[in-house]
Amino acid sequence: MNKDKIFKLAKGFRGRAKNCIRIARERVEKALQYSYRDRRNKKRDMRSLWIERINAGTRLHGVNYGNFMHGLMKENIQLNRKVLSELSIHEPYSFKGLVDISRNAFPGNKLAVKDGSSIAV
Amino acid sequence: MAATIPASASLSVGRFPNNRASSSSCPCPATALPRTFFLGFSKFPAAVAKPSLGVASLPSRRYLRTHCQQQEQQQRLVVVPREQRWMFEESEINGPDIWNKTWYPKAADHISTEKTWYIVDATDKILGRLASTIAIYIRGKNLATYTPSVDMGAYVIVVNAEKVAVSGKKRTQKLYRRHSGRPGGMKVETFDQLQQRIPERIIEHAVRGMLPKGRLGRTLFTHLKVYKGPDHPHEAQMAIPLPIHDKRIQSDK
Repeated sequence: MNKDKIFKLAKGFRGRAKNCIRIARERVEKALQYSYRDRRNKKRDMRSLWIERINAGTRLHGVNYGNFMHGLMKENIQLNRKVLSELSIHEPYSFKGLVDISRNAFPGNKLAVKDGSSIAV
Repeated sequence: MAATIPASASLSVGRFPNNRASSSSCPCPATALPRTFFLGFSKFPAAVAKPSLGVASLPSRRYLRTHCQQQEQQQRLVVVPREQRWMFEESEINGPDIWNKTWYPKAADHISTEKTWYIVDATDKILGRLASTIAIYIRGKNLATYTPSVDMGAYVIVVNAEKVAVSGKKRTQKLYRRHSGRPGGMKVETFDQLQQRIPERIIEHAVRGMLPKGRLGRTLFTHLKVYKGPDHPHEAQMAIPLPIHDKRIQSDK
């Protein structure tokens, strides 16, 4: 790759890495390697973010993520984690319905003490 | 398929005047004209959904591109079927697509002045369990809108910090260390000594260890307010009691 292409890719880099070809070439190579790796990592990160959001959403109703998913699998509800996390944010009442379905299918943990935690904070 | 036929028909019809203009201006019309002419005509009877690549290779590309860009922009919005329109609000039908993309908070979703304030009394509560619950609420991990890069958490006030409890012999054996940076500058204190000197620091140290370390973690730490006695200056925030689900957090002694 010639220098113009390197400098075009090095926009926004810190210090000499955006101006001096020797340093910029190294940094750009690294940046391309990182972007290759992170295109694969992004899929993992997004899935873990959905799982965290679902976990938080279900714990508001007294069920943890593991028992919730187990109940859904038992009922053969094939909604994926992306959709479930969006439901827990935008459609709280529908999500509560799903949590109830899961709780009926798999009782799991029963929280005896449930303080007044609101659904939508 | 039905959608592509009128599209291809309109594209081929739209290109005819351009073809005549290009054929008149280009130097060797013998090879160019029959090729374009043939492609234009083949669209009508075949009615095959040809990919736009075959069409875009023609010289009248500029005219085609603007059409396609407009169509792309219109196609990016989600089309709601007519029988389901009653379920969606106006802003949802005509606005951007929120169902197929993961939600990311905008600035209006995490305004500091609209965050909830929690208050917890640390009297006879086990230090680590209390700090864990506080850190969860400060970070926002109890909310479905949790985002790791954005501060979505709440503020927490801790009162009666000097009465926090620890189990076992930690009161005399747990050590708090700090180093001044110079050689031989390690200072060691026990839990008891620190509690008599600066009791707030015990809870702050515990919660800081449970928050993320970094720029965001440091701003999250400023959302923790620890006070020695039962009073605190945040009466105006109308803090609600922190909901604790941990059954072993209360020390019985």
